[in-house]
Amino acid sequence: MSKVEAKNVWKIYPRGNVVAVQDLTFTCNHGEFLAILGPSGGGKSSTLRMLAGLEEISRGEILFDGKVVNHLGPAERNVALAFESYALYYRLNVYENIAFPLRARGMKGKEVDEKVRFIADMLELGPYLKKLPGSLAGGIQQRISLARALVRRPNVTLLDEPLSHMDQRVRHEIRARIRHLHDELGLTTIYVTHDQAEAISLCDRLLIINEGRLQQIGTVEEVWNRPANKFVAYFIGEPTMNFIPGKVETVQQVVILTSSGKRAFSFEPHTLPEQYVGAEVTIGVRPQQIEVSREGNRTNTIPGTVKIVEFQGDRTVLTVELDDLAGSEVKAVVSAQERYVEGETVWFYFAPSIIRLFEEERLIL
Amino acid sequence: MSTFGKIIFWVITLFVLFIIVAPLAWIYLTAFKAPNDIFTTDVKKLVFFKFTSENFQRLFREFPFWPNFVNTIIISAASTVVVLVISALAAYSFARWNTGRGHLLFTTISTRMFPGVVAAIPFFVLYRNLGLLDTRFGLTLLHIYFNTSFATFLLYGFFKEIPEELEQAAMIDGYSRVDIFRKIVMPLVRPGLAVTAVFCLVWSWNEFLFSFLFTRVTARPVTVLISSFWGSIEVQYGPMAAGAAIVILPTLVIAWFMQRYIIRGLTFGAVKG
Repeated sequence: MSKVEAKNVWKIYPRGNVVAVQDLTFTCNHGEFLAILGPSGGGKSSTLRMLAGLEEISRGEILFDGKVVNHLGPAERNVALAFESYALYYRLNVYENIAFPLRARGMKGKEVDEKVRFIADMLELGPYLKKLPGSLAGGIQQRISLARALVRRPNVTLLDEPLSHMDQRVRHEIRARIRHLHDELGLTTIYVTHDQAEAISLCDRLLIINEGRLQQIGTVEEVWNRPANKFVAYFIGEPTMNFIPGKVETVQQVVILTSSGKRAFSFEPHTLPEQYVGAEVTIGVRPQQIEVSREGNRTNTIPGTVKIVEFQGDRTVLTVELDDLAGSEVKAVVSAQERYVEGETVWFYFAPSIIRLFEEERLIL
Repeated sequence: MSTFGKIIFWVITLFVLFIIVAPLAWIYLTAFKAPNDIFTTDVKKLVFFKFTSENFQRLFREFPFWPNFVNTIIISAASTVVVLVISALAAYSFARWNTGRGHLLFTTISTRMFPGVVAAIPFFVLYRNLGLLDTRFGLTLLHIYFNTSFATFLLYGFFKEIPEELEQAAMIDGYSRVDIFRKIVMPLVRPGLAVTAVFCLVWSWNEFLFSFLFTRVTARPVTVLISSFWGSIEVQYGPMAAGAAIVILPTLVIAWFMQRYIIRGLTFGAVKG
């Protein structure tokens, strides 16, 4: 179990001169569960493959426990990697699949057996040991792949979208198992996914990457409450954060322009630096934090017309066209008991604490 | 399918079957006929005749059938083995590392795109200077040259089918590149190797043009011997059919037992490559 560090790591593919990862720096502490989250083609897998030693590092350094491992091959780094596609040896039975990394390192007999049975017990693979993996369900195959990855106590466990080929129910089951194994075996785990729900439910910290660049690294709360930029704000959360154009009026107030004049939104007690007064900004509010009512012409409110009502069982999502000049569409989550109809006028209240401001892409409040 | 459709289906099937089987039947029947029965115009004698092994006896007694047959075996077996070794490594390299970015693979395959005769003259001059004419080694080399491209192309498709993750998993599990090739990749392409081997073997076994041009006596394969029965004065159908009957037997047997793999090789490996 190691501490993993990446220092100014670049990945440039010479063919077509594609820059997959740019100047990436982060640390995954000993025993930590770090999720690398980002859209497809954002550089997640390249990062993981560089950590695993399957891909050369174009620039920068990767360190395990303070030692540079750039020049080491995958086997020497002692990493475990579970693949999206399981990548099991279909000619070998489950037992031999799990034993494979041990045998490849020259381990024999009783020692192999003990280790295989221990990890197979943890992942409840006992009944399948004699079977061929090809005949088993996807969830079980991924458990085998995890068992094979973890059987030899790796320095770091890398998981590359291990759940993406599974149906919802199995996904939840394996997700819980992964976290359980991580805690039980005291692993250092780096988990790559494009699914924010998966990342949020599993990890200690999130690393968000887009177009090869680090966007933000932090705990789920940090990323949720203080997204570093509009990309992160938009990427984390379902429904996604609303963006409304506005203008900074004073260091504690922002306004939204409507056909009937300005509507003021205060974010006391927070203050912006003086320089932002008069700046065009984007106001960000999470749909889950908006308070919706049928009337309420007071400060920090704005009216709008309900366009779409989506009943989702435990909640209802409203899509509302705001009364502002830009005609912004804003989503708000209300409880399932509250009934709204399309065409109705509603008032949104943005509490001072939920207002986020972005100048261009960057968070300023 | 309607009754009419069924009838059409069977008529066409039987017709195709007849076209394929008739020459084989003719060879095997002729091989056991006396000269008089071969040339008779009596239709009944096409199938009902006096059975004789005279053609085979003549073939073995008067012609160097067995030495030529041994040449065929040596040349086709040796060339197939070498071709498999070369093209397995080449195809793996093309499939996994895109060696030469497709240009090299294309060049390799393109050696099969021109008629073989085009290469015959330069090869002949070269062989004469090197003293390789009428040697088994020389003919084997030629067969290797011609089969490698096709075998590489065929195997390329099979190697492409193997997921890269599998090799990466093995790498992480502690296998070296060589171990991965030997213990992970090779077992998975075994059906592909079998198909390729059969194709190479059959091609080499039946090859006539270069054998005819590049051998005289010592290295002459059996295909050339059989053609020599077609003389300027007479055609010796008896020994010719007897020789052909023996020579095509192994290929028929292989085709029968390997047909499942061969069809898979034709439709699967090659197309996806």
